[in-house]
Amino acid sequence: MTDMKNESKPTGFGVLKNTRYSRWAVLASLACGLWLLPAGAMAQTAEPKAGEAKPEMDHTKMDHSKMDHSKMDHSGHDHHKMVMDDGGMVMNWNDDTPSRDCGKISGDVAFEVRAGRKYAEQGQSFGFSQNEWNVPACSRVTITFVNEDNIRHQWMLHGLPRYLYPQGMFHLEASGGTTRKGTFIVPSGDKTFLVHCDMAQHMEKGLKAQFKVGSGSGDLPSVPGITDARVHDPEQQNSGTWQLVLLASGLMIGVGAGVGGGWIGRKSHKSK
Amino acid sequence: MFARARAIAATLMILSALGAIYVAWLVDPAYLPPSLSTYLFQTFGERPYAAPAATAELPKLQPEEICPPGNSEWRNAQTIDGVNIKESLHCEPDNPYEVAAFVKGTNNVSMGTLMETQLTTDAVVKGRDLDGDGDPDEIHIRLEVAELNGHSPDANIEVPGYSIAPGVKPGFWAFVPKARGMATRNLETFEAQPMLRMPSPTIRVEQGDKVKITLENTHYLPHTIHFHGVDHPFKDANGEGNDGVPLVSEMPIFPGEQRTYDIQPRQDGSMFYHCHVQPQSHVLMGLNGLFVVEPNRPNNPVQTLNVGASQVRHPSVAVQERNSHEYDMHYLAIDYEMHNILKTSNDPRVVSKRLHRDYNITKREPEAFLLNGRSFPYTIRESLVIVKPDERVKMRILNGGADPIYLHTHGHKVTETHYDGIERPEASQITRDVVHVGPAQRVDVELETVNDGLHSYGPGAWLMHDHREEGVTTNGIGPGGNISLIVYEDFLGENGIPKIAGNLSTLFTEEYWRGEIPVFADMDPTGLLSEPVPTASTLTITLLTALLVALLGLFFGSLLWLIRSGGSTSVGAKE
Repeated sequence: MTDMKNESKPTGFGVLKNTRYSRWAVLASLACGLWLLPAGAMAQTAEPKAGEAKPEMDHTKMDHSKMDHSKMDHSGHDHHKMVMDDGGMVMNWNDDTPSRDCGKISGDVAFEVRAGRKYAEQGQSFGFSQNEWNVPACSRVTITFVNEDNIRHQWMLHGLPRYLYPQGMFHLEASGGTTRKGTFIVPSGDKTFLVHCDMAQHMEKGLKAQFKVGSGSGDLPSVPGITDARVHDPEQQNSGTWQLVLLASGLMIGVGAGVGGGWIGRKSHKSK
Repeated sequence: MFARARAIAATLMILSALGAIYVAWLVDPAYLPPSLSTYLFQTFGERPYAAPAATAELPKLQPEEICPPGNSEWRNAQTIDGVNIKESLHCEPDNPYEVAAFVKGTNNVSMGTLMETQLTTDAVVKGRDLDGDGDPDEIHIRLEVAELNGHSPDANIEVPGYSIAPGVKPGFWAFVPKARGMATRNLETFEAQPMLRMPSPTIRVEQGDKVKITLENTHYLPHTIHFHGVDHPFKDANGEGNDGVPLVSEMPIFPGEQRTYDIQPRQDGSMFYHCHVQPQSHVLMGLNGLFVVEPNRPNNPVQTLNVGASQVRHPSVAVQERNSHEYDMHYLAIDYEMHNILKTSNDPRVVSKRLHRDYNITKREPEAFLLNGRSFPYTIRESLVIVKPDERVKMRILNGGADPIYLHTHGHKVTETHYDGIERPEASQITRDVVHVGPAQRVDVELETVNDGLHSYGPGAWLMHDHREEGVTTNGIGPGGNISLIVYEDFLGENGIPKIAGNLSTLFTEEYWRGEIPVFADMDPTGLLSEPVPTASTLTITLLTALLVALLGLFFGSLLWLIRSGGSTSVGAKE
């Protein structure tokens, strides 16, 4: 900490890699085996969590009062369009045109997603009420995005076919205390889509999720409650002393095993 | 037998000592006492010629374009939604649609114009004309807090990225207009979208306006806004704290919360606003900007925000009565140690500990010096002061940092007209070429481009920089820091880059700012001041040094042997 000035001159990637990785690599290789276990377990537990969130469209839960229906209708008829009002927006609404690979819409799915501080994990700032969704291929998906904070948040999904969704995005953005609703149609095939709030540092501080079509195409890193971060804080790892003690004891065990093995071997050789 | 061993050891000792002295003399006579080395020179003569180190070839550099291609039509004088926007000859001019939206209000401007920006419909809301003089007097500004170059749990990258010079990315926090859409320029980059930048935007209102400023705290630590020098009541109409000082006037605004400040300034002038939570770090982290109150005039809707400071493309009526151009100039010196704390952890608790308890501002040593959020050479893309002969240009200078600046204007003596927003009596206005601005102080200066040998020495591309010499470096490498130029239009290229004697390309590489490029390399036709490469002679020196060490080892080895063989003799005698 006191030496930070030396380790982190802001010259981009290179310097950070050098200082962070060296220490990290040692621990990573040590801890590798231990990690696989809980990571696997977490991936398993993610499944039922996603499964339970597969309800049919539940109109009773939606907050109609806060929605501006006149503007919603306007965008609904003319998909790919965007609606902006009161500090929020709905981008690339599409409720009638499936992607070319689909042919027709397979069915309707609706989710209510809440966002805010109260859904944040320890060590983060914000959170979604749910971090994974599973839908069948070619579903028509309606998201009701309820922002419980008093600042702006987003539910932004990336990777949709660009000929239907400019920039491949479907995007709901809600000012503090407001709700936005929008509909899009997922393509066919097993794919995992990134969902996040693309405000500065909001994804990093908790607003990250994954949207799986079919059986998905694996998990994304650092999804709260689902996968681990790829880059940890090196200072938050074991202290230097503990690392040294661990390394030293590893070394001693190794040397002890070698010497002991040699001694036993020699003894048994002698006894023959 | 022992006697023989002792004899061999003693001989070895003497030989290795003599050898070591000779080799030491070959490597560097300074290793030896002067009398001894003089004796050796007299005995053996001068040492043979060693070829000097050759000059290294410069690494192949791929500089950025000095002026990247962009929206060149943004530079033109134009009228958008009825808002007149002045020409900006900068390489990277402000987005004129943003300017129009800030003048009319994001609620009044056409949807087409708003779509050319990333502003929300409620970013700057303008209401009624209360005094009936043809401009709105109800202004509601919504600001958010953006972290730049923060930590990513996914990769070793800074997000969203913001460079003050090529490859130089310290962490920052800035107040930013309420925006919509992505925080990055596009899907292919981690670079922040243009409104998320340093410094916090200049806020501009008219004297007497009823101004509401809502801070929506989108950041992960608490913040407030304190309006320094701006007329504001201690409590607002609802009895809520309005001074922005946590624990004293109010509680801080925590992440996810918002608060609205009410002000109705009775006096005009160049003022200041900043976060007052843990100000020893939050102010310097970037949460500060100019707050300008323009004198009340009829038909005077002002440009409420000036993103990135620099040229004001829609100056107020009062400014236009006297000045041809107006520039907002924000200076800041930053200590990498503090700014880079943001990159060390994704956990707000840890960042807070390191920033608020571990970091000690009394040990502060700034490495980077910014003008309008950038260091030279990036400053020449946006923060040149562009003039014609015989003009009067208004510059509002704010020192947002913790160290004084001494701004030197080459080729000009400027007149200090206002201190901290108060006009000086005309007789006591000082004309000088080094303008001293202390922390939080504002000095308004008038730059007169009259070629009289006093106010101006004539047209040119004249440097303008802090004369504390660290201020013209970036982490000790120059020319960097807060350098910019006063450029006469005749000295300005097509793309807004000044026509100067040399080529700045080398400065537009990350390698230069990492200190990997000899500073005179591409200026010096003889190449005599480029980088040396290791040569055969240095290899010889290395080998000789190794030999010297070996001889010294041999000396001590034989010394040990001698002592040991002597001891053995006595033991042997007993036996």
